Amino acid sequence: MSVAREFTKGLWDEIPPFRLVLGLCPTLAVTTAAQNGMGMGLATTFVLLGSNVLISLLRNVIPKKVRIAAYIVVIASFVVIVELSMQAYFYPLYKVLGIFIPLIVVNCIILGRAEAFASKNKLLPSIADGLGIGLGFTLSLTFLGAVRELIGAGTLFGRYVMWESFQPLSIMVKAPGAFVCLGLILCLMNWIGAMQKRRQG
Amino acid sequence: MRDLIKMVVVLTVICACSALVLSFANQATREQREYQVLKYVKEPSIKAVLTGYDNDPIKDRVTLKMGTDKKGKPIRKNIFPAKKGGKVIALAYGSAATGYHGLIEVMVGIDINGKITGVSIMTHTETPGLGARVVEPAFTGQFKGLVLSDALKVKKDGGKIDSVSGATFSSRGVVTAVRQALESFSKIKKEVIS
Amino acid sequence: MSEYLLLLVSAVFVNNIILARYLGNCPFLGVSNRLDTAVGMSMAVVFVITLASAATWIVQTYVLTPFDLEYLQTIAFILIIATLVQLVEMFLQKSIPTLYRALGIFLPLITTNCAVLGVAVLAIQNEYGFVKTIFFAFVSSVGYGLALILLTGIRERLNVAPIPVHLKGTSIGLITVGLLALAFLGFAGMVH
Repeated sequence: MSVAREFTKGLWDEIPPFRLVLGLCPTLAVTTAAQNGMGMGLATTFVLLGSNVLISLLRNVIPKKVRIAAYIVVIASFVVIVELSMQAYFYPLYKVLGIFIPLIVVNCIILGRAEAFASKNKLLPSIADGLGIGLGFTLSLTFLGAVRELIGAGTLFGRYVMWESFQPLSIMVKAPGAFVCLGLILCLMNWIGAMQKRRQG
Repeated sequence: MRDLIKMVVVLTVICACSALVLSFANQATREQREYQVLKYVKEPSIKAVLTGYDNDPIKDRVTLKMGTDKKGKPIRKNIFPAKKGGKVIALAYGSAATGYHGLIEVMVGIDINGKITGVSIMTHTETPGLGARVVEPAFTGQFKGLVLSDALKVKKDGGKIDSVSGATFSSRGVVTAVRQALESFSKIKKEVIS
Repeated sequence: MSEYLLLLVSAVFVNNIILARYLGNCPFLGVSNRLDTAVGMSMAVVFVITLASAATWIVQTYVLTPFDLEYLQTIAFILIIATLVQLVEMFLQKSIPTLYRALGIFLPLITTNCAVLGVAVLAIQNEYGFVKTIFFAFVSSVGYGLALILLTGIRERLNVAPIPVHLKGTSIGLITVGLLALAFLGFAGMVH
């Protein structure tokens, strides 16, 4: 597969968490608004890209038996860097995302990509894979956040966009809304997938 | 055996590198992180108690060591000076005292002559609807313009301050915190200005 | 006493770690297909979360805070949890084989269960003491188990229900969790 293909697969064919159902906790928790989803997505992308690069470079050095421990140390280091810099430069977002920033460590997407991809591939494809999957995740989170924010508060990126008499459905920004919304989007993805398959014959 | 040594060496090297990078990142961002926390936590109350300044009181903050805590560690206190044309016109700093239920933390603004420019409640755990009403300007506004020689007590104790009805303990807590701030003013002023 | 009772109600019902705090969702959807696996997973989670929170509390209080190393919290906690899970696995395998047979296969899954790290960090953030941390971890994980077993019950029924083909699998699973969360929202306001 070409490097470009590694990049684009993350944007549709394997887009997390809609196709690759991983990393649900941050997906559900921080998508109360489009902006928060985007911030979380970008933070995750940074960690994913960093860990993919390092693990790909070190893939011949790390002994097989302790690889998971080594991956966790690498990932956790990047998470701490993100944590510190968000606190220093994006304090309001840092407050909103709260506990879910340290929890990027246990986002299964990152460990999953390290184990399934970066540890077996050269540097360039690993960068493409990390960027693709990361951006796909950012897009998904922003989309989910936008949908919930729009229905739940009538705003989009903090600006009011709905008509005057619109009654916001505040359940959408609470926990039940998160689960149901993601469930319906997965259903939509299944339907689109089935349509595509039928068209191809 | 060789495998084992390799495993230990590789893991140790990775951990050491990570610790090195992280301690560097911690050092590099420390200043900025402290500033951000103060900006978002303290700035609203600083703005409420100081007026007519043209500097950034958080950036110009002075950290003083004020006594020691129970474990013998020095207590650090942030003083936020308000400046106009480079000259200090007032100081703002936190003070705390016990209310009806837990600690009440206040921010007190005091001008260079020792007169209170404003009082703002930062954190408290008083009863909603009763003691919690000490945050209202109707109560905190009474402190404006007072000096240490004024009777800084609630009316019940023979002072000047009207307490919030039904919340004498909470009101007393705020008054005590403000008085303590004023009492330490001359010492703090000397240290900040020198 | 009443404080602990309040914490119990709060952690199990009002702020249930899955249904209100969104922690530990991946294994939640993965193992909620059969009741016996769900029960095994719940027990393993209760065991590990309680142990891990105690261990991380000790490290935070006696190592990280006194030496000004709070910024290493994330990395230290995840390593403690990973090591602990390994140790528990080895210990159970050697000394309590029956328990190992029941819980063993779930243990490796738990390292990446964000509920473990989440509860440990929450206990530190809430500034609980040692005993309260252990209690909080225990009741939180019991809440996890409760939600997991409830959901599994519903999903076993769903298996024989006629469901539109595109909704099958994770999709209907999530919608079910959503409805369960809606029911649990009824507890909100009981504890502030």
